[in-house]
Amino acid sequence: MYRYDEFDHAVVRERVEEFADQVARRASGALTEDEFKPLRLMNGVYLQLHAYMLRVAIPYGTFNSRQMRRLAHIARTYDKGYGHFTTRTNIQYNWPALTDLPAILSDLAEVEMHAIQTSGNCIRNVTTDVFAGAAEDEIEDPRPWCEIIRQWSTIHPEFSFLPRKFKIAVIGAEKDRAAIRTHDVGLQIVKGDDGGTAFRVFVGGGQGRLPHIGQEIASAVPAADLLAYLTAILRAWNLLGRRDNIHKARIKILVASLGIDAFREEVDRHYATLRREDLRIPEDEAERIKAYFAPPPFEDLPKVSAPFDRALLADPDFARFARNNVRRHRQAGYASVVVSLKPVGGVPGDITADQMEAVADLAERYSFDELRAAYEQNLVLPHVRLDDVPAVWRALRQAGLATANADLATDVIACPGLDYCSLANARSIPVAQALSKRLADLDYQEKLGPVRINMSGCINACGHHHVGHIGVLGVDRKGEEYYQITVGGSPDEQAALGDIVGKSLPSEEVAPAIQRTLDRYLQIRAEGERFIDTVRRVGPEPFRDAIYETLDAANA
Amino acid sequence: MLQTLEGIQNGLRLSVTTPLEEVEAAAAAEDVLVLEFDAFRDGRGFSLAAVLRERGYRGQLIAAGKVLPDQARHLRRSGFDAVELAPGADRAAWARMDQAFSAAYQPAVDPDPSIWRRRRAAANDRDLDALADRLNRETAGKGAAEIVKAALDPALGLKVGAISSFGAESAVLLDVVAREKADVPVVFLETGQHFLQTLSYRTQLTRALGLTDVRLVTPDAEEKATLDARDDLWKTDADACCDLRKVRPLARATAGFDALITGRKRYQASTRADLRPFEVLDGVLRINPLAEWTGDDVEAWLDARDLPRHPLVEQGYRSIGCWPCTRAVDDGEDARAGRWSGMDKVECGIHLGKRKAA
Ligand code: HEM
Ligand code: SF4
Ligand code: SF4
Repeated sequence: MYRYDEFDHAVVRERVEEFADQVARRASGALTEDEFKPLRLMNGVYLQLHAYMLRVAIPYGTFNSRQMRRLAHIARTYDKGYGHFTTRTNIQYNWPALTDLPAILSDLAEVEMHAIQTSGNCIRNVTTDVFAGAAEDEIEDPRPWCEIIRQWSTIHPEFSFLPRKFKIAVIGAEKDRAAIRTHDVGLQIVKGDDGGTAFRVFVGGGQGRLPHIGQEIASAVPAADLLAYLTAILRAWNLLGRRDNIHKARIKILVASLGIDAFREEVDRHYATLRREDLRIPEDEAERIKAYFAPPPFEDLPKVSAPFDRALLADPDFARFARNNVRRHRQAGYASVVVSLKPVGGVPGDITADQMEAVADLAERYSFDELRAAYEQNLVLPHVRLDDVPAVWRALRQAGLATANADLATDVIACPGLDYCSLANARSIPVAQALSKRLADLDYQEKLGPVRINMSGCINACGHHHVGHIGVLGVDRKGEEYYQITVGGSPDEQAALGDIVGKSLPSEEVAPAIQRTLDRYLQIRAEGERFIDTVRRVGPEPFRDAIYETLDAANA
Repeated sequence: MLQTLEGIQNGLRLSVTTPLEEVEAAAAAEDVLVLEFDAFRDGRGFSLAAVLRERGYRGQLIAAGKVLPDQARHLRRSGFDAVELAPGADRAAWARMDQAFSAAYQPAVDPDPSIWRRRRAAANDRDLDALADRLNRETAGKGAAEIVKAALDPALGLKVGAISSFGAESAVLLDVVAREKADVPVVFLETGQHFLQTLSYRTQLTRALGLTDVRLVTPDAEEKATLDARDDLWKTDADACCDLRKVRPLARATAGFDALITGRKRYQASTRADLRPFEVLDGVLRINPLAEWTGDDVEAWLDARDLPRHPLVEQGYRSIGCWPCTRAVDDGEDARAGRWSGMDKVECGIHLGKRKAA
């Protein structure tokens, strides 16, 4: 894991002081609220429906037990004893007092954490594959590049007042576990012509009101030129992006309106006159950063583990957990364990301070002190010995964190919605909870296999409903909360936006309609087909019929 | 520091909403360009400034309109020299926010070394010493061209520049460099006190050798206004004058280089008696291809290659710097006797390493 040196420490410390200065000038009236707002947002401070919200970055989702314990401490001391993990590997605190913020930020700085650029019209927390450094199919660990991008984008002089926010995701494998094509820029590590590291670059993805799937702009940018290329992209957009309409300001709109080829020409023009050499990532700096992400000292272990196999036979609950939440690891004798934050009837992504500490203990004891925050609003212990998985499972069960539903129907991604969010049309949490209760039977869920359900409380799409296999969007129908359903979305390397199936439903109808959709899939699926495969084969029609069946019957 | 100004009268004023092409076309003819922000959130001005600077605009760039003190660093680091403030603006806040961070990660248009460079400088000092030793060994007994070629070897990955005074002997070094690589950046310290002959010689020599990247480096306008408004600091404190006009501008101009080629030679001064072709100064590799050359070698080369001569050589000048500090020397005299004549000074400071934080 990356460790701060004196310079990194100075930056976060000075950032806290700068923010304190800004807060003081706001208090004295030297800054108007309009002027202060973007400054506080760039420090992760939102004004929500009922209180301020602080969004803390977990850069590329990698953190350790000391940091997790500090997050627990903050939840307990300054909040109501819990936090909320988001799809962008941030953690949100919903109830901090404005006056506590400097103290919280100082507490974070002590453990090499911050809330810098977790919001605002700037380059946001960079995200990656939750299994980076553990996945079998990876050609290179993307996290050193994420760290380089983090440093480069932090308090960027040219790109801190962009037309709109800018999100970058990086992956190191063919398989996309970080939804890179829904990002403003998605980066995929590939081998360049010279055999060196290069990046395939996608641009113009994004969700929100006008969702777009990112398009390929470059097939192999040499690693040393990555920052120069990103600079050219951001510069083209900063100069040409729309600023007159907030909904048309994202880079996706510029790319769509110019067309990818014209946009590429624009970028190339900037790239040609950039002082590229200055932006070349110094070889030794890249090496210095890479060294922090060297694999932990794995033991030489056999592929199979007797304690693991015994537990499989002895305990069907463990066997289920192992089937659903334990992932293969590139190192023989190790596995990655998904810690689901989606208990039956719970709030997706929420975790209590006690649970945070339990997970921190497990990371320290069993996973080389490493933890990951996942895009799916779950946590991952990336490097656990197979021998230790049963003990980890028992401890998770004790902490109420052993729900064996990773990637299954109740592993719902949901935004905070109207319970917290001032922009919401509708609640998402209670609908997710109702769905989770309705589909709770794990035998049923396992029969269904992997299916992703996403919920957003409004068109801003914080819950990624556009790319859910099944998406649920809260809409406002004459003051009533209604929900629009989509099917066939996908966030991965075959990224696609879902199709809207028909008119929106009242909240109590959502869970039953989704269950009918899933039942229909069970009826029509071909051998070995996952839900998304079936939708791709047959289209949305059969599911539309399933969703509106009872409504039609009632209307008839 | 970003300068703070009031009521700017001169220069062309353009809104940051002006398309880049129009800004560029207009800027070409202007020494002063004022970019007006219509809203502090509208960050186009930062990219406009950065692009103008990177494409070579050297005039004064001033930000105006709706900008916040919290943007002082962003403005400065994107290439603005100054901001126009309304009377009564909170200058203290501007100064505080400008200096809120002791360092920045990313390289930008401003000359301050990025955190990446600073980390590197610390780690590299040791490595560079080893590299200098190795190159001194490998080029022992070889000529100036080989020394330059060794420094430019892409395998070393060094960002190499040259510094030249365009003085009496400068043609030799520049010729050697240009024959290896004509687009090596050549930094010329435009102290503001040069002989006119030096300036015209610079143009002549640049053209004759086909150098494509000669960079003029001037003293910081604000510093000069405070320290030497009447251009006569040399009379009272030549060290301070050289510091203002040479040492600090050079530090800014060369912050991006790993290695600098100079034309210094052992015979020139007592301080240069043990000069080696490769040495390390303040975390930068100094390359002195002519270290072992004598005055006669220089003469022979100038003749053999038929290079243009500095116009003042005919008048008896043999080492040429700024006019106040250079005089002609008699035939028997040491060439550098004509520099800071009558003062206890033999070097201007740019070759001596850091005396204070520049
Ligand atoms: C509770 C306060 C929140 C507010 C006020 C908020 C606001 C917004 C807004 C306005 C957008 C649309 C941006 C655009 O289309 O340009 C957006 C998008 C998004 N937000 Fe949030 N959000 C909140 C919470 C969250 C949470 C909890 C998550 C993660 C679970 C999240 C993740 C995202 C993501 C992934 C997007 C889509 C990005 C894209 O368009 O590509 N946000 N948010
Ligand atoms: S999708 Fe809408 S309701 Fe949900 S968090 Fe985002 S802005 Fe709020
Ligand atoms: S040489 Fe003389 S005039 Fe030139 S900078 Fe030094 S002191 Fe000033």
